[in-house]
Amino acid sequence: MSATRGQRMDVVLEADRLGKRYGSTWALRDCSLHLPAGRIAALVGPNGAGKSTLLHLAVGLLKPDAGTVRVFGRSPYGDTEGLADIGFVAQDTPLYRDFTAAELVIAGGKLNKRWDAALARTRLAQLGIPPDKPVGKLSGGQRAQVALALALAKQPRLLLLDEPVASLDPLARREFLQSLMGSVAESGTTVLLSSHLLADLERVCDYLIVLNASQVQLTGAVDDLVAEHRQLVGPRHDGGAIGGVTAVVRASHTDRQSTLLVRTDGPVTDPAWTVREVSLEDVVLAHLADGTTQTSHSEWGVAA
Amino acid sequence: MIWLTWRQHRKQAFYTLLGFAVLAAVMVPIGLSMRHTFADLGLADCVKPVALSEAATEACNAGFHRFTNQYGSLNLVAVLLITLPVLVGLFWGAPLVAREVEQGTHRFVWTQGVGRTRWALVKFGLVGASVLLLAVGYGLGMSWWAEPLTQSAHEGRFGLIVFDLQGVVPIGYTLFAVALGVFAGTVWKRMLPAMGITLAGFIGVRAAIAILARPHYQPARTQTFPIEGGGIPEGDRGDWVLSVGIRNADGTMVAEDTRIQCPPGGKGPDGRACGAELGLKPGAYNWELYQPADRFWLFQGIETGIFVALAVLLLYLAVRRVRRIA
Repeated sequence: MSATRGQRMDVVLEADRLGKRYGSTWALRDCSLHLPAGRIAALVGPNGAGKSTLLHLAVGLLKPDAGTVRVFGRSPYGDTEGLADIGFVAQDTPLYRDFTAAELVIAGGKLNKRWDAALARTRLAQLGIPPDKPVGKLSGGQRAQVALALALAKQPRLLLLDEPVASLDPLARREFLQSLMGSVAESGTTVLLSSHLLADLERVCDYLIVLNASQVQLTGAVDDLVAEHRQLVGPRHDGGAIGGVTAVVRASHTDRQSTLLVRTDGPVTDPAWTVREVSLEDVVLAHLADGTTQTSHSEWGVAA
Repeated sequence: MIWLTWRQHRKQAFYTLLGFAVLAAVMVPIGLSMRHTFADLGLADCVKPVALSEAATEACNAGFHRFTNQYGSLNLVAVLLITLPVLVGLFWGAPLVAREVEQGTHRFVWTQGVGRTRWALVKFGLVGASVLLLAVGYGLGMSWWAEPLTQSAHEGRFGLIVFDLQGVVPIGYTLFAVALGVFAGTVWKRMLPAMGITLAGFIGVRAAIAILARPHYQPARTQTFPIEGGGIPEGDRGDWVLSVGIRNADGTMVAEDTRIQCPPGGKGPDGRACGAELGLKPGAYNWELYQPADRFWLFQGIETGIFVALAVLLLYLAVRRVRRIA
C-alpha cells in the first residue's frame, strides 16, 4: 500500500480514460497516461491529434467529458489553488501585446501568490529583451522567451508548453529549448511540451507521449522505447509468431521480403531475421502511420 | 487584478473621458443659451404648478411656440445622444471577454494564480462601476440640458425620446448594454460578431420595452370631455397621452386618433349636427388614455429596475459561460 502511494507521489500528471468532446467529435478519447516527476516529456502528434486539448485539460482550462485527469493528485478544472503549481505557455504564446515585458512581470506578480520577479527579470535581461518595448513589437522568439520567463517566475512544479517553438525559426528554436533546459535542470521541474515535429524535441526530451487521432498511441521513457523496438528484415512474413517479438507495429512487404518494426521483450534469435536498432523517430513514425491513414480513409468515406 | 484591469483599459478610459469632455464642451453652452432664452421669454413662470389667467396662458403658449421654433431642431441632437449607452456597451462590454479570447490572452490570464471566476467578477465589477459613474453623469447632465426642451414640449418629460435621455434610466440602459456586450462576447467570442449582436439585441430589447411594456407600468387613466363647447382642456402639461379618440355615448369608438371640438349648438355645413358626418350620435364625447405627469419618477424607476435586472442576469450568465471557455 505504501509502495503504491510512494509511486503515486512521483506521478505528476495522470489521466485515466480521459475524454473531451466538441459537439459529436471526440478531440481526445480514452486517454490513459501518467507522467513521472522530473521528466522532460514530449507530447508528439500530428495537428489536430488532441495535444492542445490534453494540455488544456491538464491546466484546468477545459472540463473533461469522460474519465479523469489529475495533476499532483488534484483535479485541475476549477482548482485555483492548484494553478500555482502549474506553469502554462499556450500555443502562439499569447501575451497582452500592448504591455511591455516589464509590465507583464508586474502583472504576473499581481496575479500570483508565489512569484519570483527577480528570476523573470534576470532571465529577460540575460536574453537581451528590452523591458520598455510593447511585447507585440518583439520578435516571435523574444515573445516566446518572455512567455517562458513568466511561466518560470511562478516557480511551477509542472511546466506545460503548447507548441512553444512552432512559430520560431530554427535558430530561435534551439535557443528557446536550450534556455528552457538550462532553467529546469536545477529546479527539477517536470516539463511537458508538445510539438507536431518530433525533431524539435528529440534532443531535449527523455519521455515521450504520442497522440494520434485523439488517442494515445505510445507512451514511455525514451530510452525504454528505443530499447524495446527493433527493425527486422527477412523473408516474406506471413504473420506467424516470432520469438522475442510481442507486437508488429508496422510491416511493409515486397514480393520476397518483409520489413517489420516490432516491439520486443527479449532478443530476437531467429536467424532468418536481420535485426537492426531503430531511432526514436522510426518508432514514432511507425506508431503514427497507422492511425492517420485509417482516419483519413474513413473521413473521406472510402475503403482503406 | 485591479492593477491589471486599469493597465489594460486605461487608454480606453482616457478616450472615453475625452469624448465625454468634448461632448460636455459642446452641450453646456447650448444648454446655457437655451436656459437664457427660456428665462427671457418668461417661460419659467409658465411651468409653475399654479393656475394661470387666460391671458397668461396665451402668453405662455406663444412663448413656448417661439422657444420650440428656435430650439426644436435640438430634438434631433437628443435622438443622437440616445445612442450613447449602446456605444458604451459596444466598446466597453463586447470586447471585455471577446478580445481576450480572440487574442488568446485568456489562456495566459486564466492560468495564473487567480481563478477565472474571480477574474470575471473583478473585471465586470470594475468596468460596471466605471460605466455606472459615466451613466450617472450622463443622466444628470441630460436632465439639466433637456429640461427647457421638455418643458416647452406638450408631452413634457414623458416624450418618447426625452424620457429615455434623462433621469435614472440611462443608468439602466448603460449597464444593460455593457452586460449584453459582455455576455455576447462570451457566446460568440469574437469582437465584431459580439458587437453586432450587442447592437441588434440592445435596439430590440429597448424598442420592445419602450413600446410594449412602458405604457403599462401602471394602469393608464382616462379622461373624457364633451365635443361641444368648453374647448379641449389643456390637462396637466407633461401628461403622456397614449391614445385619443371619439366615442359614442354607449362607449363604442367611432373615430380613433382624433379629437373634435364644436362651438355650442354648432351645425355642420349641411345643417346636420356637428360631427354627424363621422357617424357621431348625440352624446358622443372625446376620450383620452394617458399617464399623468407625476408618474415620471415612478416610471423611471420601473424602467431602470427592469434594465438593471436584465443586466444582472446577463452578467451572471456571462460568469457561468466564462468557466466553460478554453
